[in-house]
Amino acid sequence: MAQFVAFIKGPMVWIAFGVFFAGLIIQGWRFFTMSRKKDLAYIPGTEKKKKKKKKKSKKAKAKPKKKKTIMERLQPLIAFADKRWDNLENSMFRIHPLVSVVTIIFHVFLFVIPIFLLAHNELFRSAFGFSLPSLSDQTTDMLTIIFLLCGGFFLYRRIFVRRVRAITTWWDFVMLAVTLTPFITGFMAFRQWGDYPTVMLAHIISGELMLILIPFTKLGHMIYFFLYRVLIGSEYSFGQGKRAW
Amino acid sequence: MSTQVNREQIKGMLKAHKPRMKRYLSHCMHCSLCAESCFLYMKNDKDPRYMPSYKVLNSLGKLYRKGGRVDRAFLEDIKEIVWKNCVLCKRCYCPVGVDIPAMIAFARSICRSQGVHPDEEQSWL
Repeated sequence: MAQFVAFIKGPMVWIAFGVFFAGLIIQGWRFFTMSRKKDLAYIPGTEKKKKKKKKKSKKAKAKPKKKKTIMERLQPLIAFADKRWDNLENSMFRIHPLVSVVTIIFHVFLFVIPIFLLAHNELFRSAFGFSLPSLSDQTTDMLTIIFLLCGGFFLYRRIFVRRVRAITTWWDFVMLAVTLTPFITGFMAFRQWGDYPTVMLAHIISGELMLILIPFTKLGHMIYFFLYRVLIGSEYSFGQGKRAW
Repeated sequence: MSTQVNREQIKGMLKAHKPRMKRYLSHCMHCSLCAESCFLYMKNDKDPRYMPSYKVLNSLGKLYRKGGRVDRAFLEDIKEIVWKNCVLCKRCYCPVGVDIPAMIAFARSICRSQGVHPDEEQSWL
């Protein structure tokens, strides 16, 4: 048992991080090998000249559709921050304000809590000799409570909201558990609830499991969200969307 | 109409698009946020069966889960999902960026390859 604990606390941490980073790189590489640059119907940079010519010859003719800039694409987010509710027509913030806000908080805290946790940074310092800035324990504790409430909200939707239940499978519950367990056990460890060594071991194992599973499961949307929404050309693309499958 | 389906052909089609389609299916978070972007969902009393994600998971999702080992009755079942319940207007919005119309179109292609499609008497279109 002591050997198992030593393995989980030692080499397994490095293995988990290795699989995590290697997995993300592999997935990114796979994306670029599977997708290609889009064949553009026009030569970039020539649109303005064409537009001028058209204006001279046929003024009444409709203007060619201008490509949206990244700032224009992020308008719903900016409008939400500025409380310009009228500009949010048909946006997800207007249709599902609660889910949108909870989702954003959940995902931001998912990164902020483990990365800026004091105890994690102490481990980081002992391994590398330097650490990232840390939040106070009280702040992280509060953020964890909010994070777990957000997780509870997702669980509630999966069980009680008809439309979500219609497409929910057991695997969704597993993935939610994989994501929440490191935070629940970390929260318990900080408060010294239960048998501390056991809780801490569960915390480490669940954290390692999550890291290993991220690149190869549903949680892979961590990297693919950006690849799909920024690089793949679509009406809803945040970026220029210059790649196609 | 033949009652047999060419499973090898279906498997070949599924395999050809597997890397992309499997990723899309895997990265669908089953969040249901795509629902309101479908006018058929909105016009059918918000019936979950009209949600874009439901339609994809119960057509192409099932085809991949079964690995192409399907019969004609199964394809006839999903015919209604991919042709009647979806008009492929491409207006569905996925927060993660899953290309739902491409998946429905691919499911249609598989059905069509086996001669499963709406006939003239079915006025769905």
